[in-house]
Parts: sequence; structure tokens; C-alpha cells
Amino acid sequence: MSDAAIITTNNVNLWYHEKHALQSVSIRVPRNRVTALIGPSGCGKSTLLRCFNRLNDLIDHVKITGEIKLDDENIHAPSTDVVTLRKKVGMVFQKPNPFPKSIYENVAYGPRVHGIRDKTELDRIVEDSLRHAAIWDEVKERLNDSALGLSGGQQQRLCIARTLAVEPEVILMDEPCSALDPIATAKIENLIERLKEDYTVIIVTHNMQQAARVSDYTGFMYLGKLIECGKTGQIFEHPKEELTENYITGRFG
Amino acid sequence: MIFTKKTGSAVTASTGTARLSFLKEQSIKTVFFFTAFFAVIVVTFILLFLLRDGYPIFSQVGILNFLLGPDWAPTAVIPLYGILPLIVGTLLVTLGAMVFAVPLSIGCAIYLSELASPRTKKVLKPAVELLAGIPSVVYGFFGLIVLTNFIRVSFDIPTGETWLAASVLLGIMALPTIISVSEDAISSVPHEYKEGSLAIGATRWQTISRVLVPAALSGIAAAVILGIGRVVGETMAVLMVAGNAAIIPEPIWNILSPLRTLTATLGIEMGEVSVGSEHYSALFGIAVVLLVITLIINLSAVAILRHLKEGRAQGPARKPLISSAAKESLARFGEIIGIAVLLIFLLAAAPWWLAALVLPVAGGWYFGRDRLSQNQIQMIAFGLVGLATVIVLAILVIILQDIVVHGLPALSWEFLTQPPKDLGRAGGIFPAIVGTLYLVLGAIAIALPLGVGAAIYLVEYTREGRITRLIRTGVDLLNGTPSIVFGLFGFAFIVLYLNVGVSLLAGQITLALMVLPTVIRTTEESLKNIPQSLREGSLALGATQWQTISRVVIPPAVPGIVTGAILSIGRAAGETAPIMFTAVVFSSRFLPDSVFEPVMALPYHLFILATNVPGSSTNKYGTALVLLLLVIGFYSVAIIVRTHFQNKARG
Ligand SMILES: Nc1ncnc2c1ncn2[C@@H]1O[C@H](COP(=O)(O)OP(=O)(O)O)[C@@H](O)[C@H]1O
Ligand SMILES: [Mg+2]
Repeated sequence: MSDAAIITTNNVNLWYHEKHALQSVSIRVPRNRVTALIGPSGCGKSTLLRCFNRLNDLIDHVKITGEIKLDDENIHAPSTDVVTLRKKVGMVFQKPNPFPKSIYENVAYGPRVHGIRDKTELDRIVEDSLRHAAIWDEVKERLNDSALGLSGGQQQRLCIARTLAVEPEVILMDEPCSALDPIATAKIENLIERLKEDYTVIIVTHNMQQAARVSDYTGFMYLGKLIECGKTGQIFEHPKEELTENYITGRFG
Repeated sequence: MIFTKKTGSAVTASTGTARLSFLKEQSIKTVFFFTAFFAVIVVTFILLFLLRDGYPIFSQVGILNFLLGPDWAPTAVIPLYGILPLIVGTLLVTLGAMVFAVPLSIGCAIYLSELASPRTKKVLKPAVELLAGIPSVVYGFFGLIVLTNFIRVSFDIPTGETWLAASVLLGIMALPTIISVSEDAISSVPHEYKEGSLAIGATRWQTISRVLVPAALSGIAAAVILGIGRVVGETMAVLMVAGNAAIIPEPIWNILSPLRTLTATLGIEMGEVSVGSEHYSALFGIAVVLLVITLIINLSAVAILRHLKEGRAQGPARKPLISSAAKESLARFGEIIGIAVLLIFLLAAAPWWLAALVLPVAGGWYFGRDRLSQNQIQMIAFGLVGLATVIVLAILVIILQDIVVHGLPALSWEFLTQPPKDLGRAGGIFPAIVGTLYLVLGAIAIALPLGVGAAIYLVEYTREGRITRLIRTGVDLLNGTPSIVFGLFGFAFIVLYLNVGVSLLAGQITLALMVLPTVIRTTEESLKNIPQSLREGSLALGATQWQTISRVVIPPAVPGIVTGAILSIGRAAGETAPIMFTAVVFSSRFLPDSVFEPVMALPYHLFILATNVPGSSTNKYGTALVLLLLVIGFYSVAIIVRTHFQNKARG
């Protein structure tokens, strides 16, 4: 890959108990690009994604070896501060998970926990983030309503706004559209397109059209291994590996 | 050929017996309906009988004069029946108990749900359950001997029997309720909230304090309300340590003043009053007031918890019970109250060294917190949460070790097998042990069929509707009724009205009514755990409903039912208030010949030894230890049964 990398992994292995869920994964994620991870369900896409912000730390009995670097810092080193890391690497989840608070409070939560108290500053961040996430016009009249009253698609964009509000460098998205209808999906895909101006996006999807539409780079995973990774056009048109070709042409499920 | 013949005979037989079997099914269903409706009947009877005996005082003195009269002096030359000091006493004790228990409980609940490793949790949760299993008379005994003494010495006052002692002791007793219900509430906050917050780069503590606890707030509120219900309804423990002067503390925040609660008044005076007198009626008036207060408290907690459960089932779109704006003002209000209470306590009562310690720390926190990093704040917070857990554990250890260390020397073959001598200072407690066993076995023999029948009706025979709601409310009300109220009802209805007399039987029935809700609930739980597919499988083979229930549903539910029964036995064995006026005598050399004679019982024996018989220290501790072992023994058996069958079910 030609673009400069922001995240690189080297020989990463991960075990849940006995299960070897990631096997010698080495990948370079280019900066300010959208990278898609595809592969059949259970192949380790979410697991890999959650390595990038150390969310796997929450699970008991997980063992990780190898090196994962954000810029030049090894993020799995014991000295790494996970809080600072997660501030730099935000995440949007498969199922929208707004907090049971008002819309405003959901977006303001991140800046608040990072020490911003000034009301006008918070107002500005909330508005900017909501605009950036293309949901401002739909919610500006009801910022104090509960976020749980929004539709699924709106909730997901709110969660994106919530992530943007802490100004991360990388945004991880784990099948962000799988719980949404086609119209809401289209809105999110447009949004991803615009996000890469300022952010690096890594998106997991099992929808190959989606990967083809939104991503610049694509990595194909199978049974815990990264089979191949390259420019999206190349992966979809001239895959090097037979496994990739079989998957893309739908020859196995 | 044989095959067709068989089919033919089965069909003929069925036309003949169909009507009969239909009748049988109907009558079975009717029987179950009555067992279920029994709870409603009991609640109605309790209310009616309390009102009947309390009515004269309301009509003579007037409800307002009764409630707001400033003096309680029922034995004065001109008797005064104003229960304001008793109501205020109850409120103050409850307030103090919550100030003590809420921070500890929530800290401990946070530790259990968010910080403890699975292995630590496995040790801590039974410890908290153990705290819930200690009988209230044992708490009272510990409070009387250890806690009041500690307070007397540390504050240098003539007697330690004070509001403070009562609040601390009742606070301890409320801990297990508040801890387990709040822990449940925090643990059931969806995992996604936690991940969402951590993924933004919030620290663990920020996630806990700003997302998890706020999301669990309704559940925590219900926990606190249940804790309040426990405190308001408690009789024996508070009676033994509160000093029982029917006064309003002067000034009102003087926590070193003695005071008296509604329940304590009943416990103290009910035994000495002459039946049918004005005073007697006034005590029933108090019971009515007490019942109304506790019913409101418990029903509101139940309503909150039920709302939560339904909300969870229907997904997150429902409006939260407490809006976020209300939550914020609630938090601010709580902060102010907290500071005020702390200041009052420090100014009014605390020894100077405590003030010298607390004020700088509080001040330092208030002005310095902006300068701390999030990591430092997290460390402090986790430290405090851990400290709360350690304090809860330390309380348990202190109580247990005090009773075990002092009680062990009293245990001997003679102590366990001989009747008491010299007012219990010497001799043994054999009749009390046997009496307690008779009481609880009789109680469960009555409560089990009724309770299981009610649960079967609720789970197997009806859909949720108006009738089940009525029955459930009845069970909830019964569950929230203070044990002393059962005692009064047992006395008025069973002992006097039914003319059973103070006897084993009257005690067994009273205890049975008290544990009925526990039996119903545990049975309901275990019936609900039986998969629907089993029932459908059986019905699809043409089995009748009763055949399905009796052969397919009940057998796998038996372990759960047995567990509930043993838990109820444990609970009943430790109760004093319900049997105090219905079943017991203090000293008896003999075992009862029939159920119409009174018996000795361990909790009552301990109560009298502790409060009325000076100089029987060894035997007091011995009795307390035996009672504790008996109750804990029942609970352990219940837990063993539960885990045994759980493991078996898993294969
Ligand atoms: N917490 C866990 N404990 C044990 N195994 C897990 C856990 N999470 C995921 N796995 C296993 O790891 C493999 C990869 O899972 P995941 O990364 O979620 O796959 P994907 O997101 O590609 O569908 C799967 O086989 C899954 O069963
Ligand atoms: Mg996944």
C-alpha cells in the first residue's frame, strides 16, 4: 500500500480461552482512508477491530501476542494509557448504543469526561459534531429529549456524533449499518465518505457491495487469518488469493 | 386387530369418563384458586381486625389528635395518646439508618458488580446473604451488648441506648437488602452502555459514575425504598437499643438522645396491656398507622421494580421513570442534604477528633478536585468503594466472631439437653430448641400447601389479568407487613377471636402467614423456569392439565420449592415479634403436650435473657449462638440443595 500507515500490526495472535481467534495478523491501515474488513461471520473481524482500542481488555481470559502500533506507539504495551488511546481511537458499534440521556448529553458526554466544563464551548462541540454526523437538522429542535426516542438510523448517527465530539484520529465501525434500513444505511455511507477528510475509518462489514462502495482499501479475513489486503478495486477485481476470489464471487457462504 | 380393538375401547371409555374428568379438572382448579386468593383474604382480615380493635381510639381521641398529639403517656393518671413522638422517632431512626447504610451499600454494590473478580464475587455474595440471615433479635443482642457500649464510651455519655445506636444497627440490617437489589440493578445495565462510554475514552470510574449508576438509578431507588421498609418494620433490634423514651430529641438533630419507634411501642406495651382497654385500642391504632406506612413504602418499591422489568422486556424506547433533568436536581439535592447532615452530625455529636479529621478532608476535596487528574480521582473513588466493601465485611466478621467466641464456652451437652434453671442463668435451652422446631415445622406444614397451590394457580392456570394482579398485590402487601403486625393480628384474631389461646398452634399459624409470600414467590420462580415446551409436549399427548402439572411440571420444580421452604423455615426460626404474644412463655421445664399449650422459643428466650435477666452472660451468648447456628444451618441446607440441583440440571 502506498499511503502512509497510521495503524500497523505485526504478527498479532489472540486467544479466547483455548480458541485461537486471530492468527498471525499483520496489517497496515493507511491514514485518512477508509479501510474495510470483510469475511464470513466468525472469522475474527470484530476481534481485530477491538484490538485497536483495546476493548478486548473487558473480556476475561483473553491473551494477545504480537505488536499493534498506533503511529509509533505499541498500544498493547503495559505502559499504554488505555484512556488516552481510546480518546484517539473511537468506535461505533453494531447496535446503536446511545446512553439513556438526552441527545445533548450524549454528545457532550465525551468532552465532559475529558474535562471541558464551559457551556458555550460544549454547545459549540455538540452542534459541530451533530452537523458533521449529518443529524443536526433532525434533532436541533429537541436536543433535550431522550436519545432513546430516536429511530435506529438516527441513533447510529448520534453515536457517530458522540464519537466525533472527542476528536479521535481513527474511527472504528463494527457493522454500523447491519441494524438499519436501506435509507438509513445510505445516509451513513455518505457520511463515511465525508469523514475520511479528517479521520481514518476502519469499517467491518459483511456486505460486499458496501465495502466496494465506501472503502479505499479492503482486507479479507478467513478463519482468524488475514488472507489478503489491498486497494479495494484490486481486491474486488483481481484478487491474488483463490479464497478471496471464492468469497467475493459468492462461491461459499 | 388388537390395535383397532384397543383404540375402540379407549374412545368408548373417553365418552363415559369425559364429563367426570372435566369435573375433576374444574374442582382442582377451584381449589388452587382458593389457595391463591388466600393471601388476599389474609390481608383483608389483618386490616379489618386491626381497624376493629383500633377504631375506639380513633373515635375517642380523633384521628388528628392521635397522629399529631405530642405526648404518649398511656399509663398516666390522665392518659395521653398522641403518637407524634413515635412517628418522629420512626422517621429519625430511618433517616439515620439510611445515612449510614446507603453510601456503604452503593459502594459495596459497585464493587460487586464492576470491580470484583468472579472469584471474589463468589465469596462476597454469600457473605452479604449471611448478613441477611442473622435474626433480628441476635442483631439486637449484639447491639445491646457491644454497640451501645461502644457508643457510651466513645461519646462519654451515661448510656449508649440512643438514636445513633438504633440507626447504626438498623442500617446494618438494611445493608443486605440495599446491596443485593442495587447490585442487580447495576449489573443489568446493558453492556453496550459501558462499551460505548469506554470507547470514547472515559475512565472506568467515569463510566461507572456517569453512565452505569445513572442508568441504574431507578433500581437503586427501589433498593433504598426496600431498605427503608425493612427499617421501619423492624421491632426487636430497635427496641433493644433505642432507649425507648417517647420523646422528640432536643434539639431535633441530637443523635445521642434516646427515642422510641412505633414498632418498639407495640413490642414493649402489647404484653402488659389489658385486653379491650383504651390503651389496647391505641396500640392497634399504632399498628394501623405502621401498616399503612409500610404498605405505601413497599408498594412503591414494587411498582418501580415492576416498571423496570417491563421496560427491559419492551426494549429501550420507553420513557425512564425519572427524567434526566429530575435526576440532576435529585443529585444536587442529595449533595446538599449530605453536607447538611454531615455538618449537623459533626457540630452536634461527634467527638472533636472526628471533626478534625473529616472537615479538612471534605474541604480539601471540594477545593482540590479540579486539580486532580482523572486517574487520581479514579484511584480515590475505587479506594472508597473498596473501603465500603471492607467495612461491610468487617461488620459481619465482628458480629459473628463476638457471638461465636463468647457463645462457644456455653455450648455443652447439658446446655443443649436440659431445661433452664434460675430464670435461664443456669441449666440449658432444650425446651426452647424443641419449641422453635415445633413452631417452624408447623408453620411450614401450613404455609407450604397454601403457597405452592397459590403459585401453581398463578403460573399454570391463569393469564395475567385483573385477578392475578389483585392476588399479586395481596402477596406483595403480605410480604411488606411488619412482623410485629402479624403478632398483633395473631393475638387479636387467632388467640382471642378464634379462642385458640396463647399456644403452639397460634404461633404456627401466625408464622405461616408471615412466610407465605416467600413460599409463593420461590415456587413461582421455579415453576416459571420449567420450559414451556415440556407442558406443550405433555398436552399434545392428550394429558389433562392436572396430569401435565402433577407429572411433568412439578417434579423438576421440586428442588426450587424445597429451597424456598427451607429458606422460609430459616426466616421463621429467627422471628420473635410474631410469636411474642401468640405462642411463647419465657420459662418452661416441660415440652408441650398438645398444640394448644404455649412453648418456649429460642429467639424469645434470648430476648428476655438479654433485656430482663441480669448476670446470665454465658447463657445469653450460648442461646444467641445456637439460634444463629440453627438459622444459618437452614440457610446453608437451602443453598446446598439449590446448587446441588443446579449442577445436576447442567449435567
Ligand atoms: N468473548 C468471546 N469469548 C470466546 N470466544 C469469542 C468471544 N468473542 C468472539 N469469540 C469467537 O471468536 C471468533 C471471532 O469472533 P468475531 O471477531 O466476533 O467474528 P466476526 O466479527 O468476524 O463475526 C468467533 O469464532 C467467536 O465465536
Ligand atoms: Mg462481528
